[in-house]
Amino acid sequence: MAAHPNRAGIRRHRLHVLARAIAAIIGGYVVTALAVACLARLLPMRAAEASITATLASFAIYAGIIVTVFSARSILRVWVGLGGALLVLGVGLYLSILTGGRL
Amino acid sequence: MKESFRQSMAWLHTWTGLMFGWLLFAMFVTGTAAYFQQEISRWMRPELVATADPVSATQAALGYLQTRQPDAESWFITPPSARNPVTEVFWQPKKVEGQPPTRRKRGETSATLDGHGHPVTVRETRGGYVLYRFHFDLHYMPVLWARYLVGVAAMFMLVAIVSGIITHKKIFADFFMLRFGKGQRSWLDAHNVTAVFALPFYLMITYTGLVTLATQYMPWGVMANYASTDTFFEEVFPGRADVPRSGVAAPLVPISPLMAMASRSWGGAAIGFVQVANPGDSTATITITRAAETAIGARGESMVFAGPSGTLLDRHAPEGGALATQSVMVALHTGRYAGWGLRWLYFLSGIGGTIMVGSGLVLWTVKRRAKLPDPAHPHIGFRLVERLNIAAIAGLPAGVAAYFLVNRLLPIAMGNRAEWEINSLFLIWAGVLFWACARPQRRAWVESLSFAATLFAAVPIVNALAVSRNMLTGLMTGDWLFVAFDMAMVTLSFALGWAARKAARVTPKAVRGTRRKNKELTAA
Repeated sequence: MAAHPNRAGIRRHRLHVLARAIAAIIGGYVVTALAVACLARLLPMRAAEASITATLASFAIYAGIIVTVFSARSILRVWVGLGGALLVLGVGLYLSILTGGRL
Repeated sequence: MKESFRQSMAWLHTWTGLMFGWLLFAMFVTGTAAYFQQEISRWMRPELVATADPVSATQAALGYLQTRQPDAESWFITPPSARNPVTEVFWQPKKVEGQPPTRRKRGETSATLDGHGHPVTVRETRGGYVLYRFHFDLHYMPVLWARYLVGVAAMFMLVAIVSGIITHKKIFADFFMLRFGKGQRSWLDAHNVTAVFALPFYLMITYTGLVTLATQYMPWGVMANYASTDTFFEEVFPGRADVPRSGVAAPLVPISPLMAMASRSWGGAAIGFVQVANPGDSTATITITRAAETAIGARGESMVFAGPSGTLLDRHAPEGGALATQSVMVALHTGRYAGWGLRWLYFLSGIGGTIMVGSGLVLWTVKRRAKLPDPAHPHIGFRLVERLNIAAIAGLPAGVAAYFLVNRLLPIAMGNRAEWEINSLFLIWAGVLFWACARPQRRAWVESLSFAATLFAAVPIVNALAVSRNMLTGLMTGDWLFVAFDMAMVTLSFALGWAARKAARVTPKAVRGTRRKNKELTAA
């Protein structure tokens, strides 16, 4: 993100950075949390083991999402990607809880 | 973002690094020092000389607790070890019905004992423990907030490392590239060399650091399978549920055979921790936990014995690959398993990390100064970064040196002595921040770094005047702790002094060069 020469450019640049930061930090955390919860429920091992495995992987998932968000070509793609992941993981977790099993 | 992948990563690296750079610097300094936590504590309590046998010291500690705290809920004993010559005991006082447990001062529920179970008379200090706790709990603020703050900083660090690796295309070639006296290029080289030098260490230490508090930062994996994190811990590390006292008095069996049995079953490993619940009652239990020093990933292995009879009731060892992995990751971070060679390697890698973060912070200003519209009068944000850099990089080391100095200077009998040692650290740190804001930028660098260097140089001198153990006596009697500590202080003093000299010499040239370039630019 190179510096923009005029004032409007700087403003646009700052908003752009803010949008990416929100997507990466908050969006990324929510998607990571859902992914970790899904993994914890679906990994074929004992509940405690699955929980720990998912938790150990969580920071790598989060870091991966953040890097991807900041390197994506447009903010639209970012939100479509995050939204899609949110939907898939959310439905997955909901179904897993609905059908019972662990907990 | 129309730039290439690498450009966007360079941007991400710059800003994630800056945002929490100062906190990360402080975490690196205190974390690095914490690898010698026990040694710092021993240096800060120079009265302690004798070593003690762990088994007889534990028995003696039980005797002390039996006399002083017979009706406590529980006793906790940390036997002496190779790195700590004293027995640390604390107890959970008897609960009063209908009253919430009151918060008590440290010292009211704990004691430090010698090998014969007598309280030792040493100067009141928290020693290296303060630096260790600051690394993740900070100070003067609620622990929970501090841990979230530290966690966010660690996550920024992880992203900064990943984006830094992507940005940096010639990792191997640049490792052999350290050009001195070339202004910005030298700062970049210093940043690159220290970063590449121990890259696997930084990745490991950042990731495992996050793992140590993972259930706080990312509880969702546990929450998906358990009603709460408490029920999860209950399953993974089952403690014996609190049993009410029967009221029938029964003495404890001697501890020696139990410790021997536990140690034998762990392949001769040392005992880390002894806990007695309901002491003196027929329901008493003794829980013996394996020392973390004896093996990587040996977390939470314990044996439970009946207090009056000594029969083995239960034994716990966390099972499963994921739990073992987590234990190893936590152990890799804390380095409790490390012997002397590895411990020094940890320490040096930590110093490397400190320099990496520090040089990265300086690089941010050096790089931008060239692009400022008027380098002589930078804007407020730039000035803020500049001053905070000085306060962090020179201020905290000065504070740590002051912490060691006041340990020797404050009167032994002073009230709240330990508190004032800690306050001194932060007062000096705040003082340097104030100085950095009040003085011209370049002078502030030189003066603050010289100040820190002077304080470190003063430590061996003040120590030699205040107590009878120092480098010379250490060399003659084989008291290596005092030799190594003095050498470390002298080395740190030289390093900071060298940095002060560099700051005095190099910066004006770089600024002049920048001005010339700007003039050329305006001329063009």
